[in-house]
Amino acid sequence: MRKLRKRVGQSRAGGFGRGMVRGKDQGQVGPSSLADTDALLCPPSPCRLNFSTTRDTLTYAQAQKMVEIELEGRLHRINICDQLSVVTEDEMLAQDLTECNSNKENSEQRQGNKQTTSKSKRKDGKHTAKKKSSSQYGLQNQVAHNQTPLPKPTFRNVDTFTASEAPPLPVAYYRFMEKSGEELDNEAEYDMDEEDMAWLEMVNQKRVSDGHASVPPDTFELLIDRLERESILESRSQTLSQSTIDEDAYCCVCLDDECLNSNVILFCDICNLAVHQECYGVPYIPEGQWLCRRCLQSPSRPVDCVLCPNRGGAFKQTSEGSWAHVICAIWIPEVCFANTVFLEPVEGVNNIPPARWKLTCYLCKQKGRGASIQCHKANCYRAFHVTCAQRAGLYMKIDPVRETGANGTTFTVKKTAFCENHSPPGMETEGDEDNGLVGGRGNRGQRSYTLVPSLQQSQNGRKKGSASQQKKTQKNPSGTSRKTGVPLLLVPQIPSFRLNKICTGVSVERKNQFMQRLHNYWLLKRHSRNGVPLIRRLHSHLQAQKSEQREPDAKLQAVREELKYWQKLRQDLEKARLLIELIRKRERLKREQMKLQQAVLELQLTPALVFLRSTLEQLQEKDTDQIFTSPVNLKEVPDYLEFVSEPMDFSTMHDKLEAHKYSSVADLESDFNLMISNCLRYNSNDTVFHKAAMQLREVGGAILRHAQLQALSIGLDPSTGMHLPEQASKHNATVSWWDEVDLLLDPENRVHMCREEQLKTLLDKLDLVASMRTSGGRTKRMRLLRREINSLRHKISHRDRNSRLLNGKIKGEKMDYITSNTDLKKSTSQKVQEPTCPASSPLPGDAPPNPPMFCLEMGRTTTPAESNKPGNRKRRAKGKERGLKENHDQTLEDDESFQDAVIRVSSTENPSDLPKMGVGRRTSVLFKKAKNGTRLTKDKPVLLQNGVSKAENDVSLKQTTPAKLLSAPPAPKSPPPSPHQLRSRGLSTCSDGEGEKAHSSPEENGITNGLKRQSSNSSDSESCTPTFPAHSSSPPKRSRGKPALSKVPVGEDVNGVSNASKETSQNDEMEPLTLVWAKCRGYPSYPAMIVNPNMPREGILHNGIPIPVPPADVLDLGKRRQEETEEKFFLVLFFDTKRTWQWLPLDKLHHMGIDDTVDRLRLMEGKKPNVRKSVHMAYDRAMTHLSHVKENSTFNPSNFI
Amino acid sequence: MATAIYLEHYLDSIENLPCDLQRNFTLMRELDNRAEEKKCEIDKLAEEYIKSVRNLAPDQRVEHLQKIQSGFSKCKEYSDDKVQLAMQTYEMVDKHIRRLDADLARFENELKEKLDVSGYESPDNRSVKKVSGRGSLKEKRRPKGRGRKPSDDDSPRKKKMKNSPEFSDSVLPVHPSDVLDMPVDPNEPTYCLCHQVSYGEMIGCDNPDCPIEWFHFACVDLTTKPKGKWFCPRCTQDRKKK
Repeated sequence: MRKLRKRVGQSRAGGFGRGMVRGKDQGQVGPSSLADTDALLCPPSPCRLNFSTTRDTLTYAQAQKMVEIELEGRLHRINICDQLSVVTEDEMLAQDLTECNSNKENSEQRQGNKQTTSKSKRKDGKHTAKKKSSSQYGLQNQVAHNQTPLPKPTFRNVDTFTASEAPPLPVAYYRFMEKSGEELDNEAEYDMDEEDMAWLEMVNQKRVSDGHASVPPDTFELLIDRLERESILESRSQTLSQSTIDEDAYCCVCLDDECLNSNVILFCDICNLAVHQECYGVPYIPEGQWLCRRCLQSPSRPVDCVLCPNRGGAFKQTSEGSWAHVICAIWIPEVCFANTVFLEPVEGVNNIPPARWKLTCYLCKQKGRGASIQCHKANCYRAFHVTCAQRAGLYMKIDPVRETGANGTTFTVKKTAFCENHSPPGMETEGDEDNGLVGGRGNRGQRSYTLVPSLQQSQNGRKKGSASQQKKTQKNPSGTSRKTGVPLLLVPQIPSFRLNKICTGVSVERKNQFMQRLHNYWLLKRHSRNGVPLIRRLHSHLQAQKSEQREPDAKLQAVREELKYWQKLRQDLEKARLLIELIRKRERLKREQMKLQQAVLELQLTPALVFLRSTLEQLQEKDTDQIFTSPVNLKEVPDYLEFVSEPMDFSTMHDKLEAHKYSSVADLESDFNLMISNCLRYNSNDTVFHKAAMQLREVGGAILRHAQLQALSIGLDPSTGMHLPEQASKHNATVSWWDEVDLLLDPENRVHMCREEQLKTLLDKLDLVASMRTSGGRTKRMRLLRREINSLRHKISHRDRNSRLLNGKIKGEKMDYITSNTDLKKSTSQKVQEPTCPASSPLPGDAPPNPPMFCLEMGRTTTPAESNKPGNRKRRAKGKERGLKENHDQTLEDDESFQDAVIRVSSTENPSDLPKMGVGRRTSVLFKKAKNGTRLTKDKPVLLQNGVSKAENDVSLKQTTPAKLLSAPPAPKSPPPSPHQLRSRGLSTCSDGEGEKAHSSPEENGITNGLKRQSSNSSDSESCTPTFPAHSSSPPKRSRGKPALSKVPVGEDVNGVSNASKETSQNDEMEPLTLVWAKCRGYPSYPAMIVNPNMPREGILHNGIPIPVPPADVLDLGKRRQEETEEKFFLVLFFDTKRTWQWLPLDKLHHMGIDDTVDRLRLMEGKKPNVRKSVHMAYDRAMTHLSHVKENSTFNPSNFI
Repeated sequence: MATAIYLEHYLDSIENLPCDLQRNFTLMRELDNRAEEKKCEIDKLAEEYIKSVRNLAPDQRVEHLQKIQSGFSKCKEYSDDKVQLAMQTYEMVDKHIRRLDADLARFENELKEKLDVSGYESPDNRSVKKVSGRGSLKEKRRPKGRGRKPSDDDSPRKKKMKNSPEFSDSVLPVHPSDVLDMPVDPNEPTYCLCHQVSYGEMIGCDNPDCPIEWFHFACVDLTTKPKGKWFCPRCTQDRKKK
């Protein structure tokens, strides 16, 4: 309605201008002129003028000059002095006609004009009446204005005037103190009205009749007040969520959403109707609540427009008390507003001609419901309801028109509405360019109204054409729902606990009942007022709250800002941390990279070193007991160096490695072998050390071989310890076929190679075969290969040991030396044997595989000192003892020692002449030389026979000693060793420890001699003794990895003895009557005595102690077994309580009473305590027997048997 | 609203942080340069060695190699220093972050109290709720990195969660997370077997040399933090091998 308002303003301005013109000639303005201006300012509505005039009460003087005429129910007053214009009847008719045809507003304007003229007439009349200056005001009042001179003011001075004194000021003022909210909260703001009084009275009557005290009005007011407050609080929390300001709101009269400060869109607080101030006639915005007329005056009943069938929208009441849309009142020409400022009431409904009522709206197809307007297009008679047109979005435009007519310029509005078909073409374009306006309006209009009939139909169901209407309404369900869906202001529910809280401060009898009633009453009252709060202040407070709430919002906003700041800070820090985390990672990676670089460089510069190091580590890993980790502690075993010229261990190797002393795997290997051989040499074969060394040699050998291969494939330059410039040619792994292996297995085919080579090839083959798929052939060949390897090893080790013994420290030369040595041996052995063997041995073919005949430990004497020796390496201890002896025999000449050494060597070297059979017992050598003293005597002739000059000399020099020693055999086990033995032993150690290199060559000769001698010797023995065949058949057994050494020497000794035709005297090892540890299968070693099966049937006495005679069946059994297995068995007599007999091979027998430790170990062998006990008892028995025998003392057979 | 005094203090304390960071970084750079120089030196030595190795006696070789070795050990020293520095720096920033978190939590609580006192319970509660609601939506992503335990590999690793959940919970509602969501950093370090960025609760491997260090609970089948030492699957394997 802004446009309307504009128009009104224009027309008002027009009026004003006239007024001003008039004011000029009026000159002095009297009190009534003010009212005149007022009247002029008022929109020129005739109705209003009339109304106002009727209300005026006239003074008598005025009444005297007025003529009152009642015309068409309106009162007209005409001053008697006024000149009246004469209007003809024709003129009147013409005016009526234009009124009828033109828009209502135009007519109104004209009417206004007319009215103004009449008014001015009247005013002029007034003025003239006042001033008594009659002038010719009339029809051409304008002309009159120009002609009449301005009236001059007249005044005079009053001399007799004294200003009265001002009344004295009051002593005190009343000042209105506005109470604060808190104060107000504490008192009851509510004032009872008549309704409340009536209700309270009724309630009180009831209460009094029930015998309760009546409730005073104050309490009532207080309670109502509290209820109000509660409801406010409740509603606040409820309504705050829904925004009350609808940004898309548009005025439902003009369908415009423009909102200016002077013309804002108001919302009804109940129905949420949105209207412009000007469109609804609200010149000023009221404080607090604003309700639309409908909500104010007919809150509970929906209202229907008298002019159209639609519901919703902005209503105003008509003067008759019915309701009409503002928009309808604007558009229907006959209807106007009585007050154009407040736009109410709607008048002129009765003036609407019946023809208009009968028009049928082409949109809603309803006839006789409301008044329609018609398309303004000439010749188009389509009729439509204003609201329907608005809803349909028809072209409806109100234009201000400036008309310059005969009466000067007049401003009118021109309202044009077209039906769909006649919408001006501009509309489309306008719509296109301003879619929001037109199209939007159409939609808005659609949404603004609902059809009444639909409601009526649902209520009454008797309207015609309802179906179509219903269809229509259904077409716009959104539109209907919007308006009808707006709920009445809710009366908030107050929870009961709140109610209880409310009434706590009040003392009323039967409180609950009363509260209930009061609450209900209050609810009803609120409902009746459409939920409008009963206390105005609170309501406005509610709205103030909204704005106030914005304040904490701002506060919150500030806090949020701050938080945002902190959070940004936090994020920055987080980023920094992330960055640093990345840096940390980077640095760690760099560190890793550095380490890698180092490793790479190391590999690049010293690949050999790294490789060797890893090899060494692998080797060391295999040394699980860490026996070889550190050098031998020489303090513990001071004599170690006597036997080991070149100590070696892993740590030394490591040091050497780091000092770049090794350039190839071979270097490492040689040291490794040295280490192993040292150990083997120093420690006897039954110590853990020996075993560990053997094991390590096995495993380490494999590792080294592997390393060798790898080194080859890697291509290391030994001189620089770096990689070769070009990759070494791939080592062609020759596919080894069985034939090849078989070929190799034949010793004949290997003759051309030296033993090391043989060993190497054999090992290679073994590795190869081992890597093949499992099959019968493989296992068989592997076994064969192993056997070959073992035998080869034996040989090599013997020769090795010998050479080492001889050569001492000359390591470098050793290899060549040995090879030449072996070559020599090979050649010689065959040659030498030939002459001897055929002659003496009936089995010459057996000679080559003969086991080495040496290592006679039996004869080794035991001394108390020896048995008590501490230390982990027992053999060393023995060496020590020997060292002592050596000291003892310091006086002995060198010559003698040389001789002895030679002899010893020669004796021990025996096995090495046997080409394929070797026994890996290097250490035993040390203990044999003396024992073999007896044999030496026997050997000597052989040596002499062989005619080796040097040896011969030595032997001849030594001849006296052996001669003496010859007497020893009868008592080989006698604990106190003969001085000769001692001496010879000492000598031997002496020579050994000093490592006399000067004698290497003679000794070498000695060796060969010894070999020859030995072979001949053995062949001799073979020829003589029936046991020998068995003896020679032992190799296969040895190949099984059993240490057949001890047996072999026995055999040899036996042979030797037999050779000397003294069966028992010579063999100091396993001769009859020796005490042994015999091992039967399934039992621990058990003390036993070897008995000569060929002993006389009548029994013998051993040092006066009778030896039991073996029963015949035992002897038979033994014979049979020996024949079956072709092995030599010894008859043993156990020291158990039953004195059982048993035949056992040599390897099951071990000396007893020689080494305390060994004995103790044997004693502990048994796993079960009772077995151990029985072994213990047997051992005791054996010891007693021994002591008896030794002492030759009184013998108690009962004790023994 | 006046900022709490402790936050002001915090600002003071953090003032030096950039300088410290700068100092540490320059230090690291210096070390880096020195390490690079050393590396060049080593390279030269190595070249020299390769050229002359044929004519060198074992002693000389050893000597030469020892020179290289010493160069490397120097380099290692630098690297260690750098790592140490980085960890120190990390610790520093982490400390600040933790303090800020604590202060913010405090700030938030005070704010809440204030709001409660001022009687705008309903609107403020509502707004706070709204905010926290939004916050919780972001929670999944938010806590990432937050309260990540001061992972110091050298300090005996306690079993600490990267995120103290109760803490972040208390902080989160304050943060109108809608205000700013941390942009995803493409360089953000990834952790765990899954190679994802950190989120939720995480556990640190007790092997100081662990290449990964941090693991999501879910990825290592954990729901609660285990007692005693914990090793990641890889480190466990490695240890078994040893």
